[in-house]
Amino acid sequence: MKQNDLVIIGAGPTALTAAIYTTREDIDTVLIEKGAIGGLIATTDWVDNYPGFVEGISGLDMADRFQKQAERFGAVIELDEVLGIKPVDKLISVSTTSGERLAKAVLIATGSDYKKLGIPGEDTYYARGVHYCATCDGAFYRGKRLVVVGGGNSAVQEALFLTKFATHIDLLVRSTLKASDVLLHELERNDKITVHLGVTTDQIIGDETRVTKVLGTDTKTNKLIEFDTDGVFVFIGLKPTAEFLRSTGIDFDSIGFIKTDENLRTSIKGVFAAGDVRSGATMQVASACGEGATAALRIREYLEGHSQQEK
Amino acid sequence: MVKDITIYTTNTCVYCVMVKKWLGSKNISYNEVNLDVNPERAQEPVDLTGQLAVPVTVVTKADDSKEVIVGYNLAKLAPAVA
Repeated sequence: MKQNDLVIIGAGPTALTAAIYTTREDIDTVLIEKGAIGGLIATTDWVDNYPGFVEGISGLDMADRFQKQAERFGAVIELDEVLGIKPVDKLISVSTTSGERLAKAVLIATGSDYKKLGIPGEDTYYARGVHYCATCDGAFYRGKRLVVVGGGNSAVQEALFLTKFATHIDLLVRSTLKASDVLLHELERNDKITVHLGVTTDQIIGDETRVTKVLGTDTKTNKLIEFDTDGVFVFIGLKPTAEFLRSTGIDFDSIGFIKTDENLRTSIKGVFAAGDVRSGATMQVASACGEGATAALRIREYLEGHSQQEK
Repeated sequence: MVKDITIYTTNTCVYCVMVKKWLGSKNISYNEVNLDVNPERAQEPVDLTGQLAVPVTVVTKADDSKEVIVGYNLAKLAPAVA
């Protein structure tokens, strides 16, 4: 059976930063990624708040740079899916779709994914007018009208990106805009986007093949509003990617994030968690990288103790 | 036996990058139709899948039958190219 010093579940900013640190310490490190290398940041149009990139950087380019830097020091990324983990003697068994492997330590860095609205029509028209990745699917909406749902940084950033394609965007915000001032100023300057504050998104309607309209409610007047549209992009917050670990006995918080102590240790010995999946994370790429570095240092200490026990 | 693979992509789509990386890691060659470069072909993947999404990977077998996979889906992609 394959064995590594460290298996990192995920290959986003947290995971790749941790791998840069551990491989530079000659810690044999494998990352297992079931989705996109770079994680959610790779689906982000533009990152303007990561230090060192004066003019900003595309999420895809940033992910590529993280990957190349980690691989330069010897990190190995396997495109596979982790199904579960369990302690076996002093090791951790990691089961994947292609088999089982052992690790002295495991870092859970699976990040987060966009939440769904949970309204009628959302699943019916998934990928036929309902989308969660503007950089992936925005190009299908050249010359079309769109609805974007959400009021945070992601919603505003991606709405601005989608104006490259769409003729007009209705931005539906349940309460108030929570995006950064820089994005809000850009939003004000963009005449293709109409912001609707205090409007809920209730239903997505189509003609069996395509989305045709979105129904919402003005929460002040309680009036129903119809938005004619060709598509809907949803950015209403993040949920942790950790459900696959439910049966492992690891401790979760009430929302579903993984609980750790101040050293990023989970309730299973030898298993650490960092980044967006961790309870208390701030969901920023810069802090994700910081947590990756911290996790790497704590894992190095743990592995030193592990080696002494083996002697 | 696979005769030909075509992937419909866009410049900014990370899952398109992942499909190409995965095929590259298996030394499997493919043709790419970039819809940002060839917007006049944007209807082709829609007609194949009924969906407005990329990547769309079309695997043509030796008997000219086609398997169409939407997204970066290794559970479907791996057996299709085996």
